[in-house]
Amino acid sequence: MRRVTPDTIAVVDLGVCDRCGLCLPLCPPEAIHLELNILTVDDAACTGCEKCIAPCPVGALAMVAYA
Amino acid sequence: MPDVDVLVVGAGPAGAVAAWHAKLAAPELDVVLLERDRAVGAPVRCAEGVGDAGLREFANPDGADWVSRQITDVIFQAPDDTEVVLAGSGLGWILDRTRFDAHLAAEAAAAGAEVLVGAEATAMSRNGEERWQVRVKERGREDVYRARVVIGADGVETMVGRWAGLDTRVPSRDMESCAQYVLQGIDFNPDAIYLQFSNAIAPGGYAWIFPKAVGVANVGLGIVALKTDGRNARQYLDDWVARRFPNAARTGYTVGGVIVHTTIKKTYGDGVLVAGDAAHMINPLSGGGINNAMKAGRLAGCTAAAAVRENDTSERRLARYHEAWMEMLGEDHLKYYRIKQALEHMDDAFLNSLARTVNKVPATKRTIGRVFTHALIRHPLLIPVAARFFV
Repeated sequence: MRRVTPDTIAVVDLGVCDRCGLCLPLCPPEAIHLELNILTVDDAACTGCEKCIAPCPVGALAMVAYA
Repeated sequence: MPDVDVLVVGAGPAGAVAAWHAKLAAPELDVVLLERDRAVGAPVRCAEGVGDAGLREFANPDGADWVSRQITDVIFQAPDDTEVVLAGSGLGWILDRTRFDAHLAAEAAAAGAEVLVGAEATAMSRNGEERWQVRVKERGREDVYRARVVIGADGVETMVGRWAGLDTRVPSRDMESCAQYVLQGIDFNPDAIYLQFSNAIAPGGYAWIFPKAVGVANVGLGIVALKTDGRNARQYLDDWVARRFPNAARTGYTVGGVIVHTTIKKTYGDGVLVAGDAAHMINPLSGGGINNAMKAGRLAGCTAAAAVRENDTSERRLARYHEAWMEMLGEDHLKYYRIKQALEHMDDAFLNSLARTVNKVPATKRTIGRVFTHALIRHPLLIPVAARFFV
């Protein structure tokens, strides 16, 4: 599946993330993973839609420029 | 590469009951229950409230060590803190989930299921074969389990559903972002749960006080991010607690998501079922999910056991689980969801005036039904909310 490269993508601050998993089902391309207690965002799959950002109960996700 | 009949992923209420009832239904089957965390029941991501009738289908709370507190009253609070006390209206329990989940897992083990803690499913594939191959990491070692039926009871993340190709995604408007403290040394009625509705305090959700003991409570709230002023759930909670309980000791803290949607369109596939939060089987009005999860787990366990016995674990056979669930509670959730949508338009001024109107009814005649009767003039859909709120 091709996608348009977004200007910004989501990143997680693991120092803030509580590993609650709330963001996983919110991600339309299912780019967020939680394995062995580590949350990761697959930057090749993230479309920059920002749907995960505001719902995070602790503000652990943010958008950054896609380099 | 262990071969098992039923592999249950996640040892919360849905998974533990699924494993337990699969063994009860078919004792000769090999049933394995996986828990990712090092202890069943921890960390707690829950306000721990549960209705009495549903709970008793699975466990007897009288004198049980997994109960924190019995509840008899419900107190609604308006945005301006006006209280509407509904005495004797909410028979229920506040659980100790660390002990309760362990109790259910012990029931599964006593029935003959194998319980593994610190065992995380990390991938699952089928490749046209008869069995699912599930990759499981346990204490640094990796095993591949070959399972006739996999039951996904893995909560809000619902990875099993994702791996099986089921659509488990949630629209943002149907995700409650929750934060909760355990507060000690606070003053409240320890026989009541408190629910405060206000767009300023908890937009799109409500704030709660659920007693765990005299002076000790789970104090939290849920919000819908689309309706907020930019603060996250923890910030809303900090502001509320600072105003209501400025001197409390915060001895615990948790966050998490509650999916207030309706059951996913398809909860089954070839050799796979999903149950509980993973299948969005939460009462979308109350956000309650424990009894729902246990009822779904029982259905899933029994369906999986029967399917393995009949040597037919096809999607078509397992579809009976979905049908049974929809008949039992899934159709009700569709109704509650429509009511939830209707409730979204009540503003704080209306909630304040509603509370004052209802308080003119004598306390002995004040029932949830009467509260909602007063709200009917503007919101006719509220009638059925009453009796069903804590199902």
